[in-house]
Amino acid sequence: RYVRQLQRLQLLFSPTAADARGAREFVEEAAQDFARQHPDVVLYVSPHSGPGPAPVLRAEYLNGTVRDELIASKTSEEIAQLAIKLANQSGLDIIRIRKPFHTDNPSVQGQWHPLTNKPSILTVQGPRLQPQ
Amino acid sequence: MVVLSAARWVRSRLSDRFWRVQEVLKYARHFRGRKNRCYRLAVRSVRRAFVRSTKARREKKRFLRALWITRIEAASLEHGLKYPAFISNLLKSQVELNRKVLADLAIYEPKTFKSLAALAQRRRQEGFLAALGDGKEPEGIFSRIVHHH
Repeated sequence: RYVRQLQRLQLLFSPTAADARGAREFVEEAAQDFARQHPDVVLYVSPHSGPGPAPVLRAEYLNGTVRDELIASKTSEEIAQLAIKLANQSGLDIIRIRKPFHTDNPSVQGQWHPLTNKPSILTVQGPRLQPQ
Repeated sequence: MVVLSAARWVRSRLSDRFWRVQEVLKYARHFRGRKNRCYRLAVRSVRRAFVRSTKARREKKRFLRALWITRIEAASLEHGLKYPAFISNLLKSQVELNRKVLADLAIYEPKTFKSLAALAQRRRQEGFLAALGDGKEPEGIFSRIVHHH
């Protein structure tokens, strides 16, 4: 079954700053709909009064990654789309994956080493002949 | 005095120059010499590095194919076959494995590779018999072609 990797979304914004207007509108209108559509994500709304850092949408995932997205001077719809995008992501880092495959056991028959195709007299130690 | 608009002679100064410079320098951190510290030199080096990396994507394919061919050649020589004989006889026996897979088999599954080399050797012998024997002997078993329709 599908387990949503997004644990919680924290909306950190100030109720008086000008660039947090979209965040305030999002909280008033669209946050409840978002929370209803995504029941396994916990939505925290934490307004901090007074001039503080820029309004941020903080996403925490099940593997521990915390991703901050700036929502300064964004409209309510844009913030909603951002929230949906974060909800559909997993917490893996967004870097170039070098190979699309990975195995823990690459070799079934035993990896090649310089003595695989040589006569076994080189590797096998017979019973040691005792000096009598 | 009521001021309705900002005075027109006040112009805003660039405030995020630091971050614009860091955007470029972050790609130059592993370079050698002053190119990893000085913006003016780093801009040129970073641009050249990006151009070279896009062009190198075409060469990477050639380079990897040559690497696989070298590895397959080494592995088949261990079993007494040369690379052209190995590849051509494998194709004639309708084993269409590409060089990447053959190289991986040679490294991680040596017994499978040995059996593939034996198959190629047997097909080679049958090819010689068919070319030199001329007619009276029946066709070789591994020379039969399977038609998938």
